[in-house]
Amino acid sequence: MKKNEDIKGEPFFPHHVLKQLIIILLIFGLLIALATYIPAPMEIKADPYSTPEHIKPEWYFLISYQLLKLAEKLDFLGPWAPKVIGVLGQGIIIAIIFFLPFIDRGSERYPHKRPIAIILGILGVISFIILTIWGHYS
Amino acid sequence: MDIEEKGSRKRDIEKRTLFRELFNIFSLTGFLYGPLDERLRFRDALEKQLKKTTPHYRFFIERNFLACLGGITFILFLIQLLTGVLLLMYYRPTVAEAYESIVEITNNIHFGWLIRGMHHWAANVMIITVILHILRVFAVGAYKPPRDFNWSTGMTLLLLTFTFGFSGYLLPWSQISYWATTVGTDSIGAIPFIGEALKYFVRGGPQVSQLALTRFFALHVVILPGVTFIFLGLHFLMIRRQGISDPL
Repeated sequence: MKKNEDIKGEPFFPHHVLKQLIIILLIFGLLIALATYIPAPMEIKADPYSTPEHIKPEWYFLISYQLLKLAEKLDFLGPWAPKVIGVLGQGIIIAIIFFLPFIDRGSERYPHKRPIAIILGILGVISFIILTIWGHYS
Repeated sequence: MDIEEKGSRKRDIEKRTLFRELFNIFSLTGFLYGPLDERLRFRDALEKQLKKTTPHYRFFIERNFLACLGGITFILFLIQLLTGVLLLMYYRPTVAEAYESIVEITNNIHFGWLIRGMHHWAANVMIITVILHILRVFAVGAYKPPRDFNWSTGMTLLLLTFTFGFSGYLLPWSQISYWATTVGTDSIGAIPFIGEALKYFVRGGPQVSQLALTRFFALHVVILPGVTFIFLGLHFLMIRRQGISDPL
């Protein structure tokens, strides 16, 4: 990274701090606007004796929900299979992402010089989006 | 001599800026140290920190948005702490009263709706920014050694964020949160060998009930923030130690 030596970065203070303050104000504005125009949902009180028809988790767990649903198709392997494979499979995916730097040991950083990692990453993002939308409508 | 004179005038102008004044006020806190300030000059330490440069990114969007995602997530976490403490003042973690206290916060407490709404929305926005932050780090290969360890502390923070979301979802004790938690904890039971025991431990019994609410409350309000602080400290210390990865 030789080019970094001749390009001087911007000083932390005041340039960067000022920019950060602007961003913090924008975040506050966004949150207040969201909280005002789309209030936090207020459902009915929990009733342990009546199960609602459709139980959906928060949107960021929809991928997990949909994967568990898809794993139900594996019941030909036996009654144990769907849940165990669904849960363990997700555990393995999380473990792979967790230990990614220890699996992908190359030192190349430019995206176009490591096509396999980037293609896998894009496929991962696309499947995340598809499974989330699918989970929302299924 | 002429040049020298110009230089000293320039320095005088520099000295008079608002930021210079602010800096002087900050450096006064060195007096609070007392004798310690002799050994570790507060003023020097502060000056060194403030003069540190942030990397120069070539693209507008990277400079102003992509490179800030981690910082934005941290700001959102601080907002969650603040609004969370405020909610804590009125929330009652019992099966009989939890829902009523949320209704009270929303309808009767001054600005309760705003604090609750901000807590709700900051949680959701935080998930988005944390995922975008990971994607950026992945795209520019900033997770490569020597920053491989920091990727793992970051992933731990991601899992903690999800656990925050999962445990916080039960606290309003509404119909959807009760049943989503029932189904969610049910899938813990599918883990071979330890699953059933773990499920019983998380719920505090065979069903989601008062004990589950107490446990989720303790997790959400005490345990998770504590653990998150430890990992945030590690995450930031490593960035300080290794520096921000060079822009591509």
